[in-house]
Amino acid sequence: MRLEKCWFCSSTIYPGHGIQFVRNDAKIFRFCRSKCHKNFKMKRNPRKVKWTKAYRQLHGKDMTKDTTFEFERKRNRPERYDRNLTEQTLKAIPLITKIRHDRLEKHISNRQKPGKRKEMEKDSKELDQDIGMLPKKLISNELAAEKTKVKVKVVQQQTEDNAMEE
Amino acid sequence: MAAFLRSKCPSVGRTLMGSLGNSLFGAANSSVEAVARPSHCDAISQQIRTFIQMRTNLKVVDNSGAKRVMCIQSLRGKKGARLGDTIIGSVKEAQPRGKVKKGDVVYGVVVRAAMKKGRSDGSEVQFDDNAIVLVNNKGELIGTRVFGPVPHELRKKKHLKILALAEHIV
Repeated sequence: MRLEKCWFCSSTIYPGHGIQFVRNDAKIFRFCRSKCHKNFKMKRNPRKVKWTKAYRQLHGKDMTKDTTFEFERKRNRPERYDRNLTEQTLKAIPLITKIRHDRLEKHISNRQKPGKRKEMEKDSKELDQDIGMLPKKLISNELAAEKTKVKVKVVQQQTEDNAMEE
Repeated sequence: MAAFLRSKCPSVGRTLMGSLGNSLFGAANSSVEAVARPSHCDAISQQIRTFIQMRTNLKVVDNSGAKRVMCIQSLRGKKGARLGDTIIGSVKEAQPRGKVKKGDVVYGVVVRAAMKKGRSDGSEVQFDDNAIVLVNNKGELIGTRVFGPVPHELRKKKHLKILALAEHIV
């Protein structure tokens, strides 16, 4: 049993899923589902179709260079059966997947960070400059709320002092 | 119209649909079904591939001399032949100097079929075209070379000579 990769979207194809298409030059195209198969028949280039891994890696959306990818390289030479090796590999597989997933999430959040900061800067700038765009009622309510807030604070301090004195 | 009908009554069998849409399609067992809205895709890319039956044109991929063979009888299956089955065909196009000539009635083994064939591990294989290799009625090859990829389903059907001569086994 071998877990293949879909030619179009690069997702894993588990046994019992998908279709293999053999072209006359003996090149085999494997598809995980009919969505990928139909896109292939439409002659779409996976590097231009936004939801595929090929596009995402090409445009830097997903991480490309990582040591965890080395574990999944295709090895055509069969390994002599060694029970310990098999056990350790089976234990390591979920660990590696988790690490790769975490690194991928970090890559994506790092990618989105400058965008978030820009948004906050834009928002604070808008508050400073365009506060006059809000209706007068709303602004006056806000200022009133601020004033009352300050008042309450002072009262509390006085009672505290009284308590301390006694 | 046929697509509209199909969407309204999904439980109706395909042959019935075929007969209803006979005037449109012109064949009882149509192998081309257009999608309700093809959009910018060709009708060709939406084809549903079916069996190899009478009047199916097949490419000959050995050096027996024939180029195109039209199936006149499938030797297995009521609906038609699939990957690995034998058919009887009539040679429609042949090379000038070959072992067979135009008009000959020959046997052939289907080595590539555009229709999906299920494998025991759950996967499905399909090829780009329909291709046969000419054989005599005992099952021995007429040609001496086989071109293109060939599936390993032939091993189960005991066509070991074809597998031995093949360029690429899938």
